[in-house]
Amino acid sequence: MTSTIRSSTSYRVRRQAATTRWVVRGLGLIGLALLVWRVVTVGLAESYPLSFWISQALNGLVLGGVYALVALGYTLVYGILLMINFAHGEVMMIGAFTGVFALQFFTALGWMSGPTTMVVLALLLIAAAGMLGSIVTGVTLERVAYRPLRGAPRLVPLISAIGASLFLQYSVLLVFGVSPRTYTRPPLLEGGFRVGDVFVPYTGVIIFVLSLLLMLALYLIVQRTKLGKAMRAVAEDKGTAALMGIDVDRVIVFTFILSAALAGAAGVMLGFHNTVVKFNSGFVPGLKAFTAAVLGGIGNIPGAMVGALLLGLIEAIGPSALGIPTEYKDIIAFSVLVIVLIFRPSGLLGEVVSEKKA
Amino acid sequence: MRLRSFQRGLRIGAIAFAILTYLILIGLPTRLGVVAMPVLALLTALIFWVALRGGKSKQALAYRAPAPLLLTGATAGLVAGLLTAALIAGFARLLAAGVNVQPYLDKIVPMNIAALYGVMPGAVVTGDLPAWSWLWQAILLTLAGIVGVLLVLSERALRQRTWSTGGTLRWLTILLPFILLTFVIWLGNPDVTLGGNNRGTLRLLAAMAAIGSALFALRAARPGREQRVLALLLLLGLAYLPFTLDQFQNSVMGIVFIFVMMGLGLNIVVGFAGLLDLGYVAFFAIGAYVYAFLSAPFASPAFSALLTSLGIPADGPLISFWAAIPITMLTAGLGGVLLGIPVLRLRGDYLAIVTLGFGEIIRLFMLNMSDLTNGPRGLLNVAPPYLFGYSLGNPRDIFILALLGAGVIAFAAYRLDGSRLGRAWIAMREDEDVAQATGVNLVQTKLLAFAIGALFAGLAGQLYAARQTNIFPDNFTLFVSVDTLSLVIVGGMGSIPGVVLGALALKGLPEVLRGIDEYRIVTFAALLVVMMIVRPEGILPSTRRRRELHDIGGPASESAALEPALPSDYRTLDGGKP
Repeated sequence: MTSTIRSSTSYRVRRQAATTRWVVRGLGLIGLALLVWRVVTVGLAESYPLSFWISQALNGLVLGGVYALVALGYTLVYGILLMINFAHGEVMMIGAFTGVFALQFFTALGWMSGPTTMVVLALLLIAAAGMLGSIVTGVTLERVAYRPLRGAPRLVPLISAIGASLFLQYSVLLVFGVSPRTYTRPPLLEGGFRVGDVFVPYTGVIIFVLSLLLMLALYLIVQRTKLGKAMRAVAEDKGTAALMGIDVDRVIVFTFILSAALAGAAGVMLGFHNTVVKFNSGFVPGLKAFTAAVLGGIGNIPGAMVGALLLGLIEAIGPSALGIPTEYKDIIAFSVLVIVLIFRPSGLLGEVVSEKKA
Repeated sequence: MRLRSFQRGLRIGAIAFAILTYLILIGLPTRLGVVAMPVLALLTALIFWVALRGGKSKQALAYRAPAPLLLTGATAGLVAGLLTAALIAGFARLLAAGVNVQPYLDKIVPMNIAALYGVMPGAVVTGDLPAWSWLWQAILLTLAGIVGVLLVLSERALRQRTWSTGGTLRWLTILLPFILLTFVIWLGNPDVTLGGNNRGTLRLLAAMAAIGSALFALRAARPGREQRVLALLLLLGLAYLPFTLDQFQNSVMGIVFIFVMMGLGLNIVVGFAGLLDLGYVAFFAIGAYVYAFLSAPFASPAFSALLTSLGIPADGPLISFWAAIPITMLTAGLGGVLLGIPVLRLRGDYLAIVTLGFGEIIRLFMLNMSDLTNGPRGLLNVAPPYLFGYSLGNPRDIFILALLGAGVIAFAAYRLDGSRLGRAWIAMREDEDVAQATGVNLVQTKLLAFAIGALFAGLAGQLYAARQTNIFPDNFTLFVSVDTLSLVIVGGMGSIPGVVLGALALKGLPEVLRGIDEYRIVTFAALLVVMMIVRPEGILPSTRRRRELHDIGGPASESAALEPALPSDYRTLDGGKP
């Protein structure tokens, strides 16, 4: 008797869930159809030249590359601690600040106007300085704001992270003042080249190539080194990993170092791209990168890269394809996120993590 | 053993030095003036106290023997003192050499450094400083280390004594709000000169303390008649507050209670139903904008054009504040359902980011749809509420309305907490799958949580619009969501009195401390982090949540999410770290 009752209940519940799923999917399909209709009627009718689309797409890829570096930071930390590092955007911003000070230092030394090798060396050192600044911030953050909260319910570290994010932003405001710092590009980085009708700026190429290289380096570290293996083990199961002789604390610190280093590099690159840094210039890119990480499936490294490149492309092409002002690009980004999550609730490539208790 | 104490001292000293450097860099000495160094030393002593006692359990405190502790404290003080003295001397040299440090470090100006030496700014510029002041600074901070040790020892001595905290303390808690209320009313007397220029601030602070202590008093009272009588008396006292406070105080209290309304709504979504909503500001904004459209249609170009084409005059309010309440609330509730539908299947962090995105989308629409919302220029001349022809737009009446609104919402939340729906929410929060298996209709329950939370936020938004009379998209940033979430969590998640206390602490105190406006956000942010480490369940937690977070004897499960937190335990395992 009992079993029949139970099965009938579960049948009803299951049917309900299926109905909702189809309602939600139907809504999503309607949204998608509207989107496609809009693109066909407006975006294609405006008849921009092909070169316009290509250059927009290139811009998108550049932005996507930077987002990917930051998104990887979110995803790495999430994969291991199951926690949103809300202050990651600020870690990036501090990297950008360290970078700008290094840039001023090398400019004062006269390296930036020297021969090409000198400039390249200086640029590399600036990137290294930015990464170092971010790493120090990231590790301190982990030690002070996150480590005491390990094992606490999910909301607790999130609030702590929000607090840390605000603290870092406004500390930078207090210590360095309101006035934005400018990244003066050396003459070497100015300009670009033409392929047909498409203008490709040097900074764009450098940023894209560099971010690809850094992602490759990360991939190699995670997949081929012993520490990477330990990271994967800890992400899988902290307790068991500790039983296998892995120092979990050290692995977590290493994860923060990796993610902060990527963020620092991204910060310096974004600095050269946008030419200014302010105390709050880490916030919006951080939010976008987090969106990208979720889009690809948070906790999933290839997912973060794919999600970020996709988000960059959508942001760059979206407004003109839909025939709406560029101010709406953030709306497009978030709408895409919602639509993707309707069809794939754990992101484009994410599967495993979301099945754990969320 | 001695070496370890020494090393520990070095570490604590280095940490104290880092904190001191930070305080100097953010320009605190400039604010403190001549007493900068002694005040900093006092702060350092407190830092040493916290660091030296290590851990928050009583056992950790009892194990510290005096002699090694003194060695640690003195070492820490000496290290911090020498390093800080060197840093200050370095800055003084730089400034004396005429280097302009300000483009790099905004707050390093002669005035700041001079305050540390206790001299006039001119002396720093000319390099005319007392020769032995570095020694004096180092000694002061070493003393701070020793004071820290004494604090630890005296705390231990105090803890070892058993206090008979019986009836007296309870009666004191119950009487405290009345004492504070009397104090507030007495301060309002124009003849009283206590507090001088800061009398208003003192009064506001006392009023907020009265409300806060009232919550503790209610908790201390025995359930039954005692509690009911106390609640009635306290309500009477609270109802008298708006009539005794002045304009500014009332307006601060008004905004605090508008946030109480918001917090109570969010408490339903996050605290009861466990759905992490980071875009709660969206419903607040919807409420505010809908009321603005209804009461000031002329402010919106598109809406007024539409009305005129329909033959409706658009030069005055369409309907009154009271008639608008159901419309704004329903619109906001509808917004809640619309947000709820796509996120039904999302869990945890995915939900957080989607709701955050939703909040941003709403704000961006308001910013960019200039035809409808007038863009960044905002909607102006929103009508205040009227009652029998009298305007209720002044701060006092807004405070009363906010009190009433918060009361109604608190009552609704209280009834919901114990209802079938409330229990369904709790079941869903604890485990969605199990809840579904026991027959909870997840779709309905989730949507109702979003919708009811949104209803309350809509009401708060309407009152906010009526209070401000001019609203701009910038009033509805992500920070409003973050503030609301923080106040719910600081107060104690799922606890109704906690929300009131959280709003007083996070929205009220910063308003009082306008004088140190610059450091407001940093202090608030640091407090948030410290609070999460020290007392994650909030100031006034609900009983259930307190048990969850302090159940040390509970079974440890494998996943981090399910683990009952072991903060104090974890800390002792981690060694007596600072």
